[in-house]
Amino acid sequence: MSETRVQPRRVKSSRRGVRVADRVSHWVITLGGIGTIVSVLMVCVVLVWVVLPLFAGGEVSGRTEVQVAATSGDVVRVGEDEYRTIGFSIDRQGHLRSFLLDDGTTIVETPLSSLGPASAVSFSPGSNEFGLGFADGRVVLGRLEFTTSYLDAKDLPEDLRTLPEGKSRPHGQGVLQRTSIGQYRQQALQVVTDDPVDLGVGGPIRLFDQTTTSSGRLAAAMDDQGRLFVRRFQVEYDMLEDEETTVVVGGALDVASVEQEKTGNWSLPDHLALSSLGDTVYLIWNSGRLLRVDARDVEKPVLAESLSLFPGEKGRRVTALAPLLGRSSLLVGDDLGRLGVWFRTKPPDAPNPDGIVMRRGHLIAGRDAALTAIASSGRSRVVALGFDDGGIRIVHVTGEGVIADIPPPGDAGPALAVALAPKEDGLLALYPRKAASWALDVGYPEASFKAYFGKVWYEEHVKPEYVWQSSSGTDEFEPKLSLVPLIFGTVKATIYSLLFGVPLALLAAVFTSEFMHPKWKRRIKPTLELMASLPSVVLGFIAGLVISPFLEKHVPQALVAVYLIPFFFLLGSQLWQGLSPRWSSRLGVLRGVFLVFAVALGVQAAGVVGPFAERVFFAGDLRLWLDGQGGDATGGWLLMVLPACVLAAWAVVALPFRRTWERWTGLGSRGRAAALEVVRFLAGSGLAVGLAWGVAVLLTAAGFDPRGSVLGTYVQRNALVVGFAMGFAIIPIIYTLADDALSSVPQHLRAASLGCGATPWQTASRVVIPTAMSGIFSAVMIGLGRAVGETMIVLMAAGNTPIMDWNVFNGFRTLSANIAEELPEAVKDSTHYRTLFLAALVLFVMTLVLNTVAEVVRQRFRRRATRL
Amino acid sequence: MPETLHAAIPENEDREPFMTENTMPRASGDLPELPAREDLPSVADALREETSFATVVHPELIQEEALVEIERFSLWYGAKRALWDISMAIPKGKVTALIGPSGCGKSTLLRSVNRMNDLIDTVRIDGDMRLDGESIYGRNVDVIELRKRMGMVFQKPNPFPMSIFENVVYPLRIEGVKDKKILRSVAERSLRGAALWEEAEPRLRESALGLSGGQQQRLCIARAVAGEPEVLLMDEPCSALDPVATSKIEDLIEELKGDYTILMVTHNMQQAARVSEYTAFMYLGRLVEYGPTDRIFTQPLCSETEDYITGRFG
Repeated sequence: MSETRVQPRRVKSSRRGVRVADRVSHWVITLGGIGTIVSVLMVCVVLVWVVLPLFAGGEVSGRTEVQVAATSGDVVRVGEDEYRTIGFSIDRQGHLRSFLLDDGTTIVETPLSSLGPASAVSFSPGSNEFGLGFADGRVVLGRLEFTTSYLDAKDLPEDLRTLPEGKSRPHGQGVLQRTSIGQYRQQALQVVTDDPVDLGVGGPIRLFDQTTTSSGRLAAAMDDQGRLFVRRFQVEYDMLEDEETTVVVGGALDVASVEQEKTGNWSLPDHLALSSLGDTVYLIWNSGRLLRVDARDVEKPVLAESLSLFPGEKGRRVTALAPLLGRSSLLVGDDLGRLGVWFRTKPPDAPNPDGIVMRRGHLIAGRDAALTAIASSGRSRVVALGFDDGGIRIVHVTGEGVIADIPPPGDAGPALAVALAPKEDGLLALYPRKAASWALDVGYPEASFKAYFGKVWYEEHVKPEYVWQSSSGTDEFEPKLSLVPLIFGTVKATIYSLLFGVPLALLAAVFTSEFMHPKWKRRIKPTLELMASLPSVVLGFIAGLVISPFLEKHVPQALVAVYLIPFFFLLGSQLWQGLSPRWSSRLGVLRGVFLVFAVALGVQAAGVVGPFAERVFFAGDLRLWLDGQGGDATGGWLLMVLPACVLAAWAVVALPFRRTWERWTGLGSRGRAAALEVVRFLAGSGLAVGLAWGVAVLLTAAGFDPRGSVLGTYVQRNALVVGFAMGFAIIPIIYTLADDALSSVPQHLRAASLGCGATPWQTASRVVIPTAMSGIFSAVMIGLGRAVGETMIVLMAAGNTPIMDWNVFNGFRTLSANIAEELPEAVKDSTHYRTLFLAALVLFVMTLVLNTVAEVVRQRFRRRATRL
Repeated sequence: MPETLHAAIPENEDREPFMTENTMPRASGDLPELPAREDLPSVADALREETSFATVVHPELIQEEALVEIERFSLWYGAKRALWDISMAIPKGKVTALIGPSGCGKSTLLRSVNRMNDLIDTVRIDGDMRLDGESIYGRNVDVIELRKRMGMVFQKPNPFPMSIFENVVYPLRIEGVKDKKILRSVAERSLRGAALWEEAEPRLRESALGLSGGQQQRLCIARAVAGEPEVLLMDEPCSALDPVATSKIEDLIEELKGDYTILMVTHNMQQAARVSEYTAFMYLGRLVEYGPTDRIFTQPLCSETEDYITGRFG
C-alpha cells in the first residue's frame, strides 16, 4: 500500500471549454477575414457588373416578313408606331399607305393633303413631322399622329375578342391588338395638317424643307427656276376677328444664275436640307456637289460655301441623304455604300466669309452595295442604313460602331426605305414587294473603348477631341463621354495639391522628429493630426466660398507672397542668429513669436509689393495679362524661373567658397558672423532675382510666353485654390505617417552618426531620412491616394469644368467630383449611369495601380532597411 | 544642442591642474608607497552620506601622459545624480577599461567624453573635461568638431543601411570629401585597420546589413577610425557578439593600441584583464579605484574593488 497524496488530478487532454473557445475564435476570425476580403471584392464586382453591359453591343432578332402591295411611286419614308402594330410608307407624291405589320394588310391609303399630289416632300429627322410643297407654290405642314385607346371586350365583335395575345387585326380606323395582359388596345394613325400657306414663290415647289425653332417655323424651298426661298412663318392674331393667320416673310437667292455664272451649267439640286435653327440651307446634287447658303438673315440669304462631298474622289454619287437627329449633321450615303457625316465647323483659319467650313467628321464603311436608305433614330445618334443589295446595317454615328448587320433577306431586292421604331426596339425595312421587321436591342451604342478613352470627332467640333459633356436638355444633343478630361482633372488636382502639401508635410515631419524639442512635439503632433479629422466638406466650403473670392481679389499679392513669405522667414531666422547667445538663450521662447512676426511682415510686404509688381510686370492688370491681353511675358517668366534661380544663386554664393566662408565667419565674434551671413543672404536673394530677371527677359526675347500653358486665364475656382485646400487635407496624413517613419528609425543610428561628428541636419538627411524612406514614400503615396479620391473639396472649389488645361488658374473636374455631381441625376441603367460607374471603376483601378506601385517600391526600399 | 548645458557650466577658467585634487600627490621618479587598506576612505561612508568619493589612484598613472582629463565631473539625470565628482586622466595611446556593476555610470561617463549626453534632454552637468588640454564642456566649444576627434563604437553594432564602403567613409562624407581616390584609400586603410578588408573587399558596394554581427562591429570600428580620431570610445563593444567575434574584436583592440587612445566600457572582467592596460572601477556613480590592470585585478587597494572582481557582488 502506498501512501495517498493530495494533488490536483492531472488532466491528460485540454479542457472542453478551452477547446470550444479555440474553435469558435478560429471560425470567427476566419469568417471576419474572409468577409473583409469578400466585401472589398464585392465593390469591384458590383462596379464591373454595372459596367459590363456597356460593352455588350446590340442585337437584332425575330425577323418577320410580310407581303405588302406594290408601291405606286418612290417610297421616301417608312415608319411604325411605338407598339409596333402599324407600319406606314409615304411616297414622293405625299401619298400615305398604312398597313398591319402582322400580315401586311393595307389599312388606309390616302394623300397626306387634300391638295392632291405634292411636288416636294420633307421630313424632320427622327420625328413624324412632314412638309409638302405643291405645284402652285403653297406648302402644307403637318404630322402623323398615333392615337391609342383601350376598348372594352364587350364592345368588340366575337372574332376580335378571341384574338390571341400579341396579335393585331384591323378594326375601325385603326388596329386592335390584344396585349400581353389581355387588354384590347386600339392604335390609329391620323394625319394632322395645318392650313396651306402660300410661300409667295410664284411657281411650283421642287425642293422643300422646314424646321421648328423656338422663335417659330422656318422653311426653305426651291422652285423649278433654281431660285431658293427662305421663309419665316409668323402667326398674327387678329383680335377683332379672333383669328390667327400665318404670314410668311423672307428673301430669295437666285442660285441658278449664280451657279450659271460660276460654273457654266445648272441643274436642279437633288436634295435640300435646312439646319435646325434655319440659319443654313444645304443644296446637294447627287454628283456630290454641296452648296451652303447662309440664311441667318432670312431676308437676304447668301451663298457661303461650295464643296464636293467626295474630296479627292471621282465618279462617286450621292445615293441617299438625310439630316441626322438635331439637324446639325448631314448624312450622305454614296454608291460605295459608305456613310459620310458632314457638319459645320468654325476653325480659326476658315477661308469662308462667315468663318464656317463644312467638314466630314466621319466616314463609316457600309456593305458592298450602294447605300439607298437612311433613317435616324428619334432618340439617339443611331442610324439605320439600307443598301441596294437589300442588306441593312445599324450604326452609331458618333462612335462609328456597327450595332447590327443584317444580310439581305433572299431575293427581296433593294431596301427602299428603313425606319427605327420610336423606342429603338424595332427595325422596319421596305422592299419593292414586301416589308420586313426585326426586334432590335441597340444596347449602349454611345459606349465604346474609343468613346471613353480615345479622341472622337464630335458634331461641329473642328477636330477629334477628348470631351466630357454627358447630358443636355434634349435628345438631339450628342453625348460626349470621354473620361480623359476627368482623368486629367484628377491628375491635375493630385499634382497641384501634392506640390503644395508634400514639401510642407515632409519638412514638418523632419522638423518635429529630428529637431523639435520632444515636449513641444507631444503637443504639436496631436494638433496636426486633429487637422485630419476636419471634414473635407468644410475645407471645400472654405476653399470655395472664402479663399476663392479672396484670392480672386488679391492675385498679385498672393503670387508675390509665395516668394516674400519664405524670404522674410529666412531673413528673420538669419537676424535671430545675430543675437548674442546671452540674449538668444534668455529670449528662447520668443523665437517662435519673432518668426511669426517675420512671416506677418512678409504678408504685409506682399500686400505692398503685389500691386507694384502688377503695375510694373503685368501691364497694370494681372488678370487681363493672364488672359493674354497686353504686357509681355517677362513678368510671368520671372515668377516661374525664380525657384530655379534661387537654387542657382545658392549654388553660386554658398557652395564654392564654403571653406573660405567658414574660416572667414569663424574669425570674428558671433555678431559679426551673423551680420556676414545676413549680407550673404541678401546678396544671394538679389542675385537670384537678378538672374531670374535676366532669364525672363531672354525667354521673352526668344518669343516664348508662359501664358497658355501653366499660366493662363484666371478663373475664380481654380487649381491653385484646390491645391491649397486639398494640400491642407493631405498634410496631416502625410505628416503623421512620415513622422512615425522617421521616429521609428533606431536611435542607435542617430547616435552612430552624431558620434562620427555629423551635424543633426547631416544625420537627418544622410542617415535618418534614407533609412525611413520606405515609410516616407508610403506616407506620400497614401496622401496621393487620398488626393486622387478626394471629392468634396474639388467639387466645391474646382469649378468642375471638364477641360484639359494645365493652367494653374483654371478649373477642372475630377472623376470623383463628376460621379458625385452627376450620379443623382443619371437615369438608372442608362448609358450615362453606367458610364459613371465606369468612371468609378477607372478611379478604383487608378488607386489600385498607384497602391500596387507604391507597395512594390516601398518593399524595395524596405528590403534595404531591414535587419536594423 | 540645448543651450542650457552652457549655462550649467560654472565659469572657472583658472582651475588647478588635474591630479592635485586627488589623494595622490604628483611626483616624479620613484613611485610613492601604496597606502594601507584601512587608511583609505570608505566607499560605504560616501554612499551613506551621499557625498563624492576620493578615488584611489595607483601611482603608476602619474607617469603617463594624459590625453583626456576628466575634472570633478558630475552629471544628473533630472534630479538623480549619476556621476559624483569624477576625476581621472586617460593615458595617451593606452587602453583604459571602465568596469563596474550595472548602473554604476560607466557608460554615462564614456558618453560624456564626446558629449553624446547632450542629446538627452534632462541631463545637467558640472565640472569639465579636457581633450589634449582643450576644454570639452567650455562655452565656445564646437561639439561637432569635438566629436570628429573621437571615434565611438557602440554596444550593439550599428552600421548605417548603406553599402559597406559608404559606411566606412561616412566621417569623410560629412566633411564634404568628394575625391574618389581619397575615399577609396581611407576605406581600405580603415577596413584593414579593422581587420575586415579581406572579407569586405569583394562586397564593398553591398549593404552593410548583410554582414554578420561581428563583421558589423568591426565595420563600426573601421568607421570610427576612418575619421582619424585621437580617442576611440568603446561602449561594451563585444556585449552583443559571440565568443569568436569577441576574440577577433579583442585582437583588433590589441592592434589599435598605441595608435589610438582607447577608453572602453566593459562588463566582462576577463576582457578588461585581457586587453586593457589600465582599469578604472566604478561603483554607484563614484570612481572607486583606478590603476594598472594587473594591479587592479591582483592587488586592489579598495575592498569594494576586490569584492567586485572576485565576484562577491555585481
